[in-house]
Amino acid sequence: MRKVFAVIKREYLQVVRKKSFWILSILMPVFLLGLMLGPALLMRRGLSGKRVVVLDGTGRLRAAFETASGTGLTPKMGDSQAVFGSRSRRNALSIDFEYVPVDGDLTEARAPHFERLSKRRAPKGERLDGVVLIPRDAFEGAESKVTLYTRSAADFVTQERIARIVNQAVTKERLVARGIAAADTEALLARVPVDSVQVTRGGRERKGGELNFLAAFVFGALLLIPMFAYGQEIMRGIVQEKTDRVVEILISSMSPMELLSGKILGLAAAGLTQVAIWLVMGGAAATFAGTAAAAAGASQLGSLDARIVPYFLIFYVLGYLTYASVYAIGGSVTNSEKEAQQFVAPIMFFLLIPWFLATVILQSPESPMAVTLSLIPIFTPVTMFMRVIVSEPPLWEVALSIVLSIATIYGMFWMTAKIFRTGILSYGKRPTIPELWRWLRVA
Amino acid sequence: MDAVVTLRNVTKSFASVRAVDDVSFAVRKGTITGLLGRNGAGKTTTLRMINRVFLPDSGTIELFGSVNDASARDRIGYLPEERGLYRKMKILEQLLFFAEIKARRPADARAEAESWLKRLELWDKRDAKLEELSKGNQQKVQLIGAMLHGPELLILDEPMSGLDPVNVVLIRRILREQRDAGRTILLSTHMMGEAEKMADDIVLIHEGKVVLYGELAGVRASFGRNTVHLAFDGDGAFLEKLPGITHASITNNAAELRLDAGADPQGILEAATPRIRIRRFEVAAPSLEEIFLDRVGGDTLAARLAPDEGEEEVPL
Repeated sequence: MRKVFAVIKREYLQVVRKKSFWILSILMPVFLLGLMLGPALLMRRGLSGKRVVVLDGTGRLRAAFETASGTGLTPKMGDSQAVFGSRSRRNALSIDFEYVPVDGDLTEARAPHFERLSKRRAPKGERLDGVVLIPRDAFEGAESKVTLYTRSAADFVTQERIARIVNQAVTKERLVARGIAAADTEALLARVPVDSVQVTRGGRERKGGELNFLAAFVFGALLLIPMFAYGQEIMRGIVQEKTDRVVEILISSMSPMELLSGKILGLAAAGLTQVAIWLVMGGAAATFAGTAAAAAGASQLGSLDARIVPYFLIFYVLGYLTYASVYAIGGSVTNSEKEAQQFVAPIMFFLLIPWFLATVILQSPESPMAVTLSLIPIFTPVTMFMRVIVSEPPLWEVALSIVLSIATIYGMFWMTAKIFRTGILSYGKRPTIPELWRWLRVA
Repeated sequence: MDAVVTLRNVTKSFASVRAVDDVSFAVRKGTITGLLGRNGAGKTTTLRMINRVFLPDSGTIELFGSVNDASARDRIGYLPEERGLYRKMKILEQLLFFAEIKARRPADARAEAESWLKRLELWDKRDAKLEELSKGNQQKVQLIGAMLHGPELLILDEPMSGLDPVNVVLIRRILREQRDAGRTILLSTHMMGEAEKMADDIVLIHEGKVVLYGELAGVRASFGRNTVHLAFDGDGAFLEKLPGITHASITNNAAELRLDAGADPQGILEAATPRIRIRRFEVAAPSLEEIFLDRVGGDTLAARLAPDEGEEEVPL
C-alpha cells in the first residue's frame, strides 16, 4: 500500500505543480462560458436596431408595421434572452420599419431602396438591412408571396419576424373580408403563450428546463475535458517511463497492478482537484448570478447546481476510469507519444459518440436511443449524466448503468494490467492485434 | 558460503533468439560477482530476470533462499543499463521516491540521501532536474537510488558507464565498502580490466551460455602461471615470433605472451633484451582479457573487428 501511495503522490504532484494545470483550471470554465454566451451576446447586438423598408403593393398594412416598428420580439423559449433574464428584452432584436405604400410597379419602386441595401458605405440613417416586397394581390392570390431581400440569407430571425407580422395582418384582413368585425379580430388572433414546466418524479413542478439544456453542454464538457486530459497524462507518463527505462525499476519494485492503480488514482486525484476548483468557481459564480438574477426577478439558476454535483462526481470517476484504461493500454503497447496518439485516436472517437449525439439525447432523453446509449457502459458517463441533467430517468436505470460501468471498468482493468505488464517492457515494434490477444491469454 | 542468488538452468528466448541459454550460477553472500560478456551476450537479460522484470521461460531463480518471494524485491537495489530515472524530476525528490517504492519511509531515507549526495558532490544539485545533470552525474544519482533503501543485494548493470576516471575510482571504492559492510553485489560489465579490479567471482557468458564461472583468483590460476607480461621501449613486433609462444598480444609498449607448457620465460627475456629496452618483466597468470579471448575464440573475432589493435581495455 505504501508503494501505491508513493506512486499516487508522485503522479499527483507532477500534475498539480505544473503551471498548465492552474491555467486550465481557471481558464476552462471562463472559456466555456464565453463559448456558450458569446454567440448569444453577439447575436443580440447584431439583431438590434435593424432598419427594413416595407414596400406594400396592397397599401393596407401600414398599421401592422407601424405598431411593430421599434419593438422587440415577444420572448420565446430557447431564445438567447432566456439567458439574460427579462430586463433587456424590449430593446433587443428590435427592427425599425420604414413603411412605403406602392401604387405602381413594385420592381420600379424597389430600385432606390435596393441601392440603400447594397451600398456598403451609406450614411448610418440611410443604410438598410432589408427590403420587403408585398405584392398587390397578397390578400387574394393563393400563389402570391412576400419577398424579403437582405444582405445575409441566414437572417432567419428577421425573416420569421416579418413573416409573422405579414401573416397576422393578412389573416386579419381575410377575417374582416369574411364579415368579422374589425374589433373582434384582435381577440381572435391573440397568441396564447406556451410555458414549459418540468414535472419531477415527486410530482413537483420545475421551471427553467431550457437552462438545463445549456448546462448539460457546459457540464458535459467539464466532464469530458479532464477525462481526456488526465487519460492523456497517463499515456504520456507510461511512454516516458518506457523511454527513460524507469519502468524497469518500477516493475522490479512493485506489481504492475500496484503501479497501474497508483498512476490512475494519482491522476484521478489531480482531476478531482481540478473539478473541485471548478465547483468552487461555479458555486461562487452561481451565488453571484443568483443574487443578480434575484434582483432581476428570476431564479432559474438555483434549481440546477446542487442536484448535479453528486452525479457529476460519480460519472466523472466512472468516465475517467474507462478512459484511463484505454489510454494506459495505448501507452503500454507503443513506444512514442505520437505512436500512442495514433493508437488511441480511433478508440477515443468511438467513445465520443454520445457527445456527437448530445443534441439528440438532450432533446429526447427518454428515447430508446438515449436509454440504450446510457446503459452501454463505455457510453454511460456522458449519456447518463446528460439525461440526469435534463430529465429524471428511472432510478433503476441510473443504478444499473453505474453497476454495469463498474463491472466493465473492472474487466478493463484486468485486461489493461495484463497488457501493461507485457507491453511496458517491449521496446520493439508495436504489437499486432493477434499478439495483443496472446498477451491477454499468456500474461 | 550462503548464496544470495542462485540461477538454475535459466533460459529465456525472444522471438527466435535464445538470449539466455541454460544459465546456472550462484552469487555468494558478501562478494562482488562480475557478470562478463560482450554486448548482447545476455548479461542484461539475465539481470532483468533476477529483478523479475522478465520471467524466465524455464529454470528457476532463487533469491535469498526462496523462489518466487515477492518481498525479495525490497531487499534488492537495481541499477538498470543506460538510464532509469525521471528526466523532469528533482534529484532529491526522485531519490526519496525510489526509496519509498522499495518500502522505505522517505523520512528515514532523507538523512542518508543527504550524506550520499554530499559525498558524491551532488548536494548542491539536489533541487535540479535530472536532465540538467551530466551523464556521469546522472549515473551517480542512479547509483544512490539503487542503494538508498539499504538493500542486501545490489544488482548493477554496467555501473561504470559514462563515468570519468576520478568517479570510476570513487565508485569502485564505494562498492568495495558496500561489500565489506556485508552486502552482496552482482555487476555486469564488458570491460575485463574493470572486472579484474573489483570482482571476487566472475561469470563469463557468451551467446547466452556460461563459458566460465568461479572465483577470479581460481579461474586465473587454472590458466597457469605461464604468461609473460612485458613493458618495454622499442619495436616489439618480433616478440610474437619467438619460439615457445602460443599466443601474443602486443601493443605499443607492452606485451602479454602465453608460453608453451615447456617453454622457459627466462629464454624470452634473453631473446628480448638485445632488441628492446625492458622496463618490466613478470611471469604471472594471464589477464582476464586473455582468458576471455581464449574462451570465446575472441582472437579471430578481435582480429576481424579491430585489426592490429589490442588496446588496454578491449571493448569486447
